[in-house]
Amino acid sequence: MLYELSNLKKIFGKRTVLDLPHLSVEAGRIVGLLGPNGAGKTTLLEIFAFLSGPTSGEVWFQGKKVDLENNRLRDLRRRVVIVQQHPIMFTVTVEKNLEFPLNIRKVPKQRQEEVIDELLDLVGMREFKHARAHNLSGGETQRIAIARALACSPEVILFDEPTASVDVENQIAIERIVREINQDKGISVIFTTHDMNQAARLADEIVFLFEGRLAQSTYENIFSGQILPGENGDPYCLVQNKLKLSINKGKLGPVRIAINPNAIQVSQKQMTHLRRTPSKVVWCS
Amino acid sequence: MEFLFDSFFSALLLLWSVDPELVEIVSVSLKVSSSSTLIASMVGVPAGFLIAFREFPGKRLLITILNTLLALPTVVVGLFVYAFISRRGILGVLDLLYTQKAMVIGQVILIIPIITVFTISAISRIDERYRKTAMTLGANALQTAWIIIREARFAIVAAVIAAFGRVIAEVGISMMLGGNAKGFTRTMTTAMALEYDKGEFVLGVALGIVLLTVSFGLNIFFNYIQGRARV
Repeated sequence: MLYELSNLKKIFGKRTVLDLPHLSVEAGRIVGLLGPNGAGKTTLLEIFAFLSGPTSGEVWFQGKKVDLENNRLRDLRRRVVIVQQHPIMFTVTVEKNLEFPLNIRKVPKQRQEEVIDELLDLVGMREFKHARAHNLSGGETQRIAIARALACSPEVILFDEPTASVDVENQIAIERIVREINQDKGISVIFTTHDMNQAARLADEIVFLFEGRLAQSTYENIFSGQILPGENGDPYCLVQNKLKLSINKGKLGPVRIAINPNAIQVSQKQMTHLRRTPSKVVWCS
Repeated sequence: MEFLFDSFFSALLLLWSVDPELVEIVSVSLKVSSSSTLIASMVGVPAGFLIAFREFPGKRLLITILNTLLALPTVVVGLFVYAFISRRGILGVLDLLYTQKAMVIGQVILIIPIITVFTISAISRIDERYRKTAMTLGANALQTAWIIIREARFAIVAAVIAAFGRVIAEVGISMMLGGNAKGFTRTMTTAMALEYDKGEFVLGVALGIVLLTVSFGLNIFFNYIQGRARV
């Protein structure tokens, strides 16, 4: 096990932000922490990063109990790195930003050059090597932050909302990079997101957090249903024998579906027109 | 008014001729002020960093006291240090009175609060995420401190320049602890005060021009490095 938490609590003032009786995370995988804002995702990630300790409870890392009182957390911090939600760059060049973790680890100068070029290629930012890091856009900053994190040669990388502040193009690139980090380099990845779809796309395993607790069901918006042929030829999806959803396409048979909550329109009568044109409409029979 | 213009032109001539007395006075001034600024920075910057970063009882009170000390009159520092280093003082045996060292001591006391207070505000403005980023990248406490100070570098340099401006332009401490001894402790400001007493303005005006030029030059230099960093 990469991490095991038991009876972990984090309290800020009077507010219990995290309350986790037990949570374990396996090594070598991509794990998504899914939950709405304020669910405690970032707090949990900072505990994983050994940046802050819990108020009470135990943390085990790779089978060893972490002595949170101890000042030697830095040794653990050198094996785990977090890429924060809005990463900040030191106000020097991109190259100098990447040098920082390498200098700390006393990597020889010639080797540093190679590592930096290799990492910038990985995140597709080679041409920004001599740019001033604080002038980069959100997506570019995120990519450089990932390269900088990789320069630490960590065993675990933690991403806090890796694509929250980036455009779609960068989002696709970043998701690809995250996969590569895990598959090619064998680094364990834990990321937080509030985006159900991203969690499903990226994660091998999803942990659902709600108000600081593990939620019972990870798939809150996943329903089993059946697609049946309709009377007038249009197929529809029947969910739990109650709900008929008209759909545009789909093979007949059992399916699992998610309903986009924004697409739900409530009406007392059955609607013949749609005010908008969502792909699914819901009415109760 | 005429005497001012006459003095001004004579002063320019004096500067042009590189008058040895003038050179000596300027070099004493620069030497004493740079030494005190350097020493005060070595104390004030780390002190400001620690105060900004650590939580301890009495922190607010300490900051309030330091803010009060920003308005410290030079004559009060002069009197205070005099009490220690005069013949009757407990440090009297060191024979410090009327030396450049005595001036440096007084000036250091004068500007430590300036450098400390401005460092505190410079460090406090640095985003908490810089600390977390340095730590997660594996930095130890000293390396983390270095990152934060580097991020605050322009504000800290501005504090040091302000402190230098304060000491190079002050009269009280230099006069009371230095004694305006020609060739030893005569600085630009004490020389100007003396020239005024004598009713001679030429050297005074010349020194005034040098004093302002030094400050102007420093600020141009500061703007230049700050501008370069923003590109």
